Amino acid sequence: MRKIKSGDEFVFQIVMNGILALVLALMILPLWRVFILSVTPFKYIDSSFGLFVNPLRWTSEAYAQFLSHPSFLHAFRNSLIIMFGGLAINLFMTVPMAYALSVRSLPGRRALNFVAMVPYLFNPGLIPSYLVVTGLGLQDNLLAVMIPGAIGVANMFIMRNFFMEIPMDFMEAARIDGASELFILFRVVLPLSVPIMLTIGLFYAVGHWNEFFTPILYLNDANLQPLPVLLRNILMGLNTNEYVEYDTFSQVSIQSLKAASIFITMLPMMMVYPWIQKHFVKGSLAGGIKG
Amino acid sequence: MKRKIPATLVALALCLATALSAGAQTKGLVDVELWALQAVTEAGPPPADWVGYQIIRDKLGINLKLVLQPSSFTDQDTKISVSAASNSLPDLFGVNRDMLMKIARQGLVAPVDNLLPLMPIRTRTHYSDAGRNRLVTLQGKMYGLPDPGAMDRVEGVVIRKDWLDKLGLPVPKTLDDLYKVAQAFTTKDPDGNGKDDTYGFGAFFESSGLSSAGFGRRFDYILGAFGVPGVWNFESAAKFQFNFRDPAFRDAVEFIKKVNAEKIIDPSWSAPNKDEFRARWKQGKFGIMWEQFAALATKANYKDFDANFPNGEWIAINPPTGPKGYSSNGLDIAQARIYAVSQKAVKAGKGPAIAKLLEWMATDEGYYLCGFGVEGVNYKKDAKGFITMDGISPDNAYTAKAMQPLTQLRNMVYINNDIELAVRYPTYKSANGKLMDPLAFWKFFKNSPYTEATGAGFIDPPTNVNDFKRFYEENLLKFALGQTELNDKTWGDFVKGMDALGAKDIEKTAKAKLVDAGLL
Repeated sequence: MRKIKSGDEFVFQIVMNGILALVLALMILPLWRVFILSVTPFKYIDSSFGLFVNPLRWTSEAYAQFLSHPSFLHAFRNSLIIMFGGLAINLFMTVPMAYALSVRSLPGRRALNFVAMVPYLFNPGLIPSYLVVTGLGLQDNLLAVMIPGAIGVANMFIMRNFFMEIPMDFMEAARIDGASELFILFRVVLPLSVPIMLTIGLFYAVGHWNEFFTPILYLNDANLQPLPVLLRNILMGLNTNEYVEYDTFSQVSIQSLKAASIFITMLPMMMVYPWIQKHFVKGSLAGGIKG
Repeated sequence: MKRKIPATLVALALCLATALSAGAQTKGLVDVELWALQAVTEAGPPPADWVGYQIIRDKLGINLKLVLQPSSFTDQDTKISVSAASNSLPDLFGVNRDMLMKIARQGLVAPVDNLLPLMPIRTRTHYSDAGRNRLVTLQGKMYGLPDPGAMDRVEGVVIRKDWLDKLGLPVPKTLDDLYKVAQAFTTKDPDGNGKDDTYGFGAFFESSGLSSAGFGRRFDYILGAFGVPGVWNFESAAKFQFNFRDPAFRDAVEFIKKVNAEKIIDPSWSAPNKDEFRARWKQGKFGIMWEQFAALATKANYKDFDANFPNGEWIAINPPTGPKGYSSNGLDIAQARIYAVSQKAVKAGKGPAIAKLLEWMATDEGYYLCGFGVEGVNYKKDAKGFITMDGISPDNAYTAKAMQPLTQLRNMVYINNDIELAVRYPTYKSANGKLMDPLAFWKFFKNSPYTEATGAGFIDPPTNVNDFKRFYEENLLKFALGQTELNDKTWGDFVKGMDALGAKDIEKTAKAKLVDAGLL
């Protein structure tokens, strides 16, 4: 444990920890409130910002309703395919490009960097993208969601910067030993780049997990819709069901269902973060040093 | 590793090739792509083996490709905008009126007047209402097919009769009566629990488009008592203007301010939270409100209130009469679920096939199949032709969760007739054995005074609609909450602020359009 050297530093530590605790509370409290709402039976739901309900009164009915919905597993599967498939495509496309642009001796490197920046600075817009995707016949194909964002330019540059920080000596030694560039990439560079791979991978994965807009645009087949679209439909249904004759979720309050849907969507990503947090901090900082 | 990369590329190429081959045409049949508005947003589409597809193929010679539109209007608009911009609109698609007018002016949707004679039954049952047809008419031509939309006049004022009885109060008729009842509900412990925990009025700040800006629809019966419900005065061309210019509107704001200051309205009213509002009436927090009949009285929606207050009872009452004799439950605006036919489809010669499909949906076969499923499996008909579930397995009933995809097209066939209403809103027994009839509330509201305001749906929002609406609502709310003093000067400043945001120009443009459409 580090010793606190002076009174000033002690005060600084107190203030800093206080601020961080406040920020933490700002993040945690709404989340906790949402969780409490999702497990609270209707008659105990109150308009006040209730943070505690006796656990003996908790009900998991809202979660049970969602998980037993006929389309849930289907949409969950689609989301997993989109996330893992999209992630594989992202890394497959981003890593080689980032590596190539990190090699200082690459002919035309400056021009290639500039070309890579163009779509970052000038977004072509929705309609050209739509025309390209539909022109390729990708409508009603999960690839329509995975391929268009195959390379996130910002992610690629962060990764490139990370690669550039790896001492050149490693690569030079491999080249002297006769290794090809692919060999160097996969056997030398990537093993040293676990933090950035996990970090960028997480960025990509979260993006794919939350895919909502592109699926409703390109996936007309409802059987291909991912979880966010289903949850959105369910929530819309909850609103309109108030006006119709039957209510799919009549046993649970709307507030609990909405809260549960938020939690269900967040849960997988919340579970992933702690495992890679160590690498995540290192990766996100290390790649951002050089411009 | 070198071997794995080409293998992945080959796999990607195969996927692309598979996708490219998906658009093949079906020989001998007319392909019709329908983007339908979902009836049950969470239920998903009919399965591939839905008997309807087979009938449509065999009898009509149509290969129907059914796509369910996104669940929200915003997402629907985005999807249609993008496909319109890329000239890839489907053959037949559900669309809201604003978007329809936009793409009709761009020449992307076809007039449908010449399709109507090809579907005589459907024209009679669906497209014979002049008010609805006006919603889709542009320069004398119909650019959309306006199916009967949601039921009209479905909301109204309701009051806790058990509370009235307990306090020995008569049903209020005037705004003054209602005010006194609200005071009593707040101060005289109408639920008898010994706590000071009830209010007279309940509401929430419900505002969506320009036509419901301001306090929103939940307060229309109060504004209606002053003769100024909604945003506009549609009484005549000479009187057409924003209601806030009418001195009676300020009187209505004064009334709401008084109600708020005396704390006889549930204080959560100023938040735009419908779920909260509905949770609170089910928890017995207030005794007077303006509510939609199904949200109040269908079994699924009434059950929580019923469980909390087995002897509680809401009754519908006429909207209160104001100081000058005005009374209104709110605005009566013609509604429709609109379908449009793309110009591309007509150019490809698909017009007659589309008409044939829609006409089939209006025949008995199409109506019952799309509306209720397969007879004998998902429902039965009694001697009068009404739907019954007698002898139908609950798992197969058309209302069962697993069966809901079978009736995703029901909004294209429903016409709000007695057959539908009887099964959509069945009677049931409440916890204390009382017969609950949701339709009785609707029938009461339908016969209560409303203010005709079809023109509200025709007024194009100004480009600064968000700023306009925000300024309007924030100021009204500040007046009502007492945050801004309400006097001649502050009210005059408010009106000047509205004019500075273009209120006069908006009135002028709207009036010209409504006169042109014959709505004033």
